[in-house]
Amino acid sequence: MIQGLLIEDSKALMIPNPLALIAEITHRCPLHCVYCSNPLELAAVDSELSTAEWIDIFQQSGRLGMLHAHFTGGEPLARPDLVELIAGARAAGLYTNLITSGIGLTEAKLKALVDVGLDHIQLSFQDSREDSANWIAGAKAHAHKIELSRIIRRHKIAFTVNLVIHRQNIDHLDEMIAFIEQLAPGRMEIAHTQYYGWALQNRGALLPTRAQLEKAVETVAAAETRLAGRIRLDSIVPDYYARFPKACMGGWGRRLMLINPSGKVLPCHAAEVIPGLEFENIRKQELEYIWRQSSSFQRFRGEEWMPEPCRSCERRAEDFGGCRCQALLLTGNAAATDPACSLAPAHSIVESALAEANSSAAVSQPVPAASFAQLQQRASHRWTYRTNPEKGSG
Amino acid sequence: MAHPEDSSKPRLATGCRWGAESKTGSTEERTILFPEGAIKLQGTGLQVLERCDGERTFGQIIEELQAQFSVADPAKIRADISQFLEQLRNKRVVDY
Repeated sequence: MIQGLLIEDSKALMIPNPLALIAEITHRCPLHCVYCSNPLELAAVDSELSTAEWIDIFQQSGRLGMLHAHFTGGEPLARPDLVELIAGARAAGLYTNLITSGIGLTEAKLKALVDVGLDHIQLSFQDSREDSANWIAGAKAHAHKIELSRIIRRHKIAFTVNLVIHRQNIDHLDEMIAFIEQLAPGRMEIAHTQYYGWALQNRGALLPTRAQLEKAVETVAAAETRLAGRIRLDSIVPDYYARFPKACMGGWGRRLMLINPSGKVLPCHAAEVIPGLEFENIRKQELEYIWRQSSSFQRFRGEEWMPEPCRSCERRAEDFGGCRCQALLLTGNAAATDPACSLAPAHSIVESALAEANSSAAVSQPVPAASFAQLQQRASHRWTYRTNPEKGSG
Repeated sequence: MAHPEDSSKPRLATGCRWGAESKTGSTEERTILFPEGAIKLQGTGLQVLERCDGERTFGQIIEELQAQFSVADPAKIRADISQFLEQLRNKRVVDY
């Protein structure tokens, strides 16, 4: 008798409005995480959209029926006008979420953000152990984040702690969950690394073994039960080990729009890697036109584009053939079935990455904390740290 | 504490709030916004959540709805609402 339609679970919408805007307001970042999902080619600082341009985008998003605005980057706090931007999004009726490393966030700044209507803050941690966390982030950020989470708890705002797990930290997941628990967020998000951008470059050092994964799944399930009613635990499973692919972004052009720092409008973080697609710029086109009519948003919408085995698969309306960017990155063809799917013709690509991950005996241990330059040098044989965008044009 | 007790005072959890009102046909709808999601509410669900104001007790909410839906089995109303609120608590949308 209780009627409540969960929008996040709704599958029946035919030509839906987008639900959320991902506002990538800058690619500048004080961290250098080896699994960063930003593109390898970052948007230059002087190409960034202005305050007024973003505020107009939020108005358009509200009119288009969007509910949430997720502020991300890079590090959103690198924008000096963040308070104005959050205020602008709230004024447009959007629920505002700040996804941050916390670097640059003081109590005074947080208060200013909450005062203009920031609804939710999502703070990322790299590990429970300081040396390992700094090693992954390529920056000494860990201690500040702990202090910051105490400050966040003093404000009336939803608080999520986000933790990315991978081969280097997954063995002490129990310890990391206990660490997050004492930070007392309302929500905890445990995400396995997804292999795009910088993470794909560093996949060999990040992909866990099957034994590591199985243990992690048990740990997460036990924590979910133990924390129920206190901390909501959302976990993102690694698609390389799954039988079926993930419904990436809830389907291409079905729920989300991402606007990058220089105004390019994309269906997801990684879509720019797909050759032959022309992405519109919000400086030249209205958001509604881009959503409904642009060729880039229509390219993989619906089922017309699907190859076999997707086209006749009974799961096609659930996972939409998986991720177009992953298909491109692994097979060279964005219209192929996502190789993460066990039914995909190119599944052997994922299988061989897994075979490699499961053959190397030892999981390498972090080097001790040091300056970024030293870290970079010491870890250079293992992975590439994320860089920063150019200051000037280009 | 899993189910709400009669003395519990259900309220929206920190960081969850009402969004815009709308209509589907003649049915009134309201949305609750929360981190990473939203719930569109109409009918009984809406009636329940509108009473979760942090002042009414669970016992009062049940009484009000039992009076309003007097044709339905009062025990079933109680069980349904209790379960509904517990689900929303696990999603960290409601606290009590």
